[in-house]
Amino acid sequence: MFTKFNNKFNTIFLDTSSPKFEVTDKVNVILSPSFYWVKKLALPVKYARDAKKLLPSIFEDILPDGNYSYSAYKSGDDFFVFAYEDKYIIDILSEKGIANSNIANVYFAQSELTNLSGAVKISDDQSIYIKEDILILVPCCWIEENSDLDMNELTLSKHAIVLQQFGHIVDQKSIYNIGAILLVLIMLISAEYIITIQKIANISTETDDIFAKHNLKSTMFQNKALLKKYLSIHERQTKIRKYISHILSLNLKASEKLSLLSLKNNILEADFSDLSKLSQKNITDKLKLNAVKFKVSTSKNNWHVEIIL
Amino acid sequence: MNRINPLYIGIALVIILFLLAIKLSSAKSELKDVQASYKETSKLSTKLTGLKDVYSKDRVKKSLQRILKLSTSAKIEEKTSTFGVIITSESMNKNEINALMGKLLNEAFNINLLKIKKLSDTTASLYVEIKW
Repeated sequence: MFTKFNNKFNTIFLDTSSPKFEVTDKVNVILSPSFYWVKKLALPVKYARDAKKLLPSIFEDILPDGNYSYSAYKSGDDFFVFAYEDKYIIDILSEKGIANSNIANVYFAQSELTNLSGAVKISDDQSIYIKEDILILVPCCWIEENSDLDMNELTLSKHAIVLQQFGHIVDQKSIYNIGAILLVLIMLISAEYIITIQKIANISTETDDIFAKHNLKSTMFQNKALLKKYLSIHERQTKIRKYISHILSLNLKASEKLSLLSLKNNILEADFSDLSKLSQKNITDKLKLNAVKFKVSTSKNNWHVEIIL
Repeated sequence: MNRINPLYIGIALVIILFLLAIKLSSAKSELKDVQASYKETSKLSTKLTGLKDVYSKDRVKKSLQRILKLSTSAKIEEKTSTFGVIITSESMNKNEINALMGKLLNEAFNINLLKIKKLSDTTASLYVEIKW
């Protein structure tokens, strides 16, 4: 996906014995056989992606302990299969002065140097040559006729590999799983957010509808003030009726009369004439019993009571 | 090797998740406020509409007319003004005044002033001021 066209970059051959490189631009890297294990096999699968699933078990017996990645490509009816350690290759690349950011593509020598004729010298004491379709690394002294490796004549294949920088910490499957979980969480939270926003919009519309339907004032402050006014009126009217009821339900003797009942400025007044001391006591007791605030005064034969609303 | 580092993608996803969680939390809080406001408005509107209807000018006028029509006393005077209505009678029979006051007190009128004064053993004067 992020691979550049091969012919844009210089290509270098990397072996553990290679000298340190001075790389300033991006380069393609061809890995010597010292970096990977390779086999040529006939497998009962059609595609390389199916073959890759079988590779851990194929290499199981020959690989030392480590975190390996696997690669495969088809050649005729057979597959070339590879096992390699990403961290080891990345460490050597770094050691040889090739920063990650300067690496365009990484290839196996097996896939790129298939047309070698004879042995090719890659360092003072090592050569590579093809034996039974497999590119192998041999000491120079084994073969007398050596030629030098000419990178300019190379045409790179499409069999580039991608080195997993964190493969030794978390395997790729786990990374995908964690990514998938995060994506699912993001989708769930997004859905919840959209639903919440929708709910807010609906409730706001319903609130506006209440204002319109009941012809309320534009602000809650005004409406609250109006309600307070009406509640105060209602409370006052309830008290008026309750206290008038107290007064009218008094048991008076035939000679005792209620001569005045008046309501003014939150004070309910009642005048009684010819009220006996006992009746006066009964009235005050009853008012006290009902927790009514009142004042009593007497003039001549008039007994006056003021009830504060 | 020119691949986006999966760690960067992971960090980006975590940041997105974190920002979304903050947005969601804020939206939830807003939803709570809106729900509380809706409940308050609904409750207030029910109370206010009920009380406004009860003490409305139209209902008070209508009820009062009905009560006064039913009253047997011909001596009742009614004065209507912008702020309310005043009902007066210089002299009423005690039974008539009992019946009228019973009806007035049993209706939801905003009685502002009231004065019932005994004139004799059987008669009394009446002054009632009802506000709209």
